[in-house]
Amino acid sequence: MYTHNGEDVFVIDGHIHLWDATKENIIHEGGEQFIQCFYDYHTGFTPEEEQWDMDTYRHYGTERMVQDLFRDGHVDMGIFQPTYLTDFYDEGFNTTDQNAELAEQYPERFVLNGSFDPRDGDEGIEHLERLKDDYDIQGVKLYTAEWRGDSKGWRLDSDEAFRFLEKCAELGIENIHAHKGPTIRPLNRDAFDVRDVDDAATSFPDLNFIVEHVGFPRVDDFCHIATQETNVYGGLAVAAPFAQNRPRKFAEMMGELLFWVGEDNLLFGSDYGIWEPDWLIPAVMDAEFTQEERAEYGVELSPEVKRKIMGENAARLYDIDIEAKKEQFRDDAISQEFGLGDTYEEASAD
Amino acid sequence: METTDSPDVADGSKSRPPGEASSSGKTESPVNLDAVRERLDRVHDPELDRSIIELQYIKTIDIDGSTVTVTFVLPTAWCSPAFAWMMATGIRDEVSTLPAVSSVTVRLLDHMHGDEITTGVNQGLSFESVFEDAEDGIEAVRRKLDHKARFARQHAAIKTLRQAGLDPDQIAPLTRAEVDLEHRSDLAAVRVQDGALTVTVAREPLADYLAKARETGLVTDETDRLFADREGDPLDPEPEAFESTLRDARLARANIEGQATICESLHESRNGVGFD
Repeated sequence: MYTHNGEDVFVIDGHIHLWDATKENIIHEGGEQFIQCFYDYHTGFTPEEEQWDMDTYRHYGTERMVQDLFRDGHVDMGIFQPTYLTDFYDEGFNTTDQNAELAEQYPERFVLNGSFDPRDGDEGIEHLERLKDDYDIQGVKLYTAEWRGDSKGWRLDSDEAFRFLEKCAELGIENIHAHKGPTIRPLNRDAFDVRDVDDAATSFPDLNFIVEHVGFPRVDDFCHIATQETNVYGGLAVAAPFAQNRPRKFAEMMGELLFWVGEDNLLFGSDYGIWEPDWLIPAVMDAEFTQEERAEYGVELSPEVKRKIMGENAARLYDIDIEAKKEQFRDDAISQEFGLGDTYEEASAD
Repeated sequence: METTDSPDVADGSKSRPPGEASSSGKTESPVNLDAVRERLDRVHDPELDRSIIELQYIKTIDIDGSTVTVTFVLPTAWCSPAFAWMMATGIRDEVSTLPAVSSVTVRLLDHMHGDEITTGVNQGLSFESVFEDAEDGIEAVRRKLDHKARFARQHAAIKTLRQAGLDPDQIAPLTRAEVDLEHRSDLAAVRVQDGALTVTVAREPLADYLAKARETGLVTDETDRLFADREGDPLDPEPEAFESTLRDARLARANIEGQATICESLHESRNGVGFD
């Protein structure tokens, strides 16, 4: 467990992937463009000495992932956010079934999310039901810009999407993570327009809508929606690494997000393997407002606020009892493997 | 030849540090490199609302007699084709205004639609004919971004007036006629309360803002109000409503600057910076 100035910080990494972008798995040029684009984001924000080579990046595998998250990365639990892209990748890029390989090995450490695509119709509904049956998922990650045949995307406020959201509500799948973020080649930028979240969030007040990447490059549209809807949250993946190479821009962004979205509605995510939590978490935890920033935004980036963002908010959404988890992690398989048991002892706070 | 509408160019060269003024390409060419750069500085990345010179998108400027070739590269290969198109046409049109230039060729490198954009812009085609499946026309996209940029720039302009002691009642009804941008090179004068009071403030935030307000058609006449909310409606001087619009403008600016942070990071890692 991470400690910051002697205080424990229970970290739930809200956005992790286990992907396969090996050449053998790519069946469309979009697949190659997609991973190359991811790699640009990786190198763009990763300290030089921490950057991976392309081969590692294409397929890092389960063993490395477990080490990067838990042994080296200060993470206590991680939430898998799948990205199917089955038109680009033979077996899919990062599917729930692929993620399950690891999640089922360490069920106490991972939350496994599913996905749906309303264009799949009845078959899609069956897929969602199957994921609920197999893995008891509590959330889905949605990719509104995913290509499917001639279609280049879909909207969360369409009748077809509403049918799936109704199904989610019925099955108790409460957390709807929508990728609304920077354009990713070759996907169409407008398919990530954040405004369709508004109608969906109003129509399904019992579901939580987590806008991943806080809607970049439309953070303002996202903030307007999140201010009005209490069930709209922001995922910090993409914004978080500003803390590493542009700390004042990070502070400015956090000032806005805390003002408009609020400290109870923001979730940390490393976006692993795009970025690694071992350097990202300290960068975020060390971030502070200057006197001027505090006065300008009228909000705090206090240790309490950061603890909420780092884990407590996600714990609330996913019914995770942090104290019970700490007790469990004193001697679970991961703690035994990496000698982490001591960090979960009561006394470790001092 | 030098006598046509080039006061801006002359101004630009004058204000340049002497050290840079001598860095022209081929000495026998009538085209001055600094003049080309000064024109390029007027071309903006429409999403980031900053000059492509400042953003270091220009890779090379080749001057051969009266022919100029400009190559540029963007932070990502998947930068919106519409944005890339606006920059490419901006380069072509700005450099073409130089009287000594007879033809301009623009090349967009390392972009997923680099060839289409390069060919289309150099042949004078329309965006809509090159990208037939684009959802919005180029002018609609430009307007949307310009309105956002106008609103974002308003934050700094109003902040400047607030710091000079003006209150919402005085700021909200201000018209173009009440602002004198030529008061001094670095100071603007603002008349409030029907001319009963004049305050001087830093010129730049107001001048920057007014340039965009004019471009978007918000402030074209002397009697037009300077400021408007996100939708273009006049500002409400009631303190709470006024503050809320100001915060919204700050958010618009933070969004643009946040996106600029992403683009800068990608640009650094993909293209390096400081290339000549």
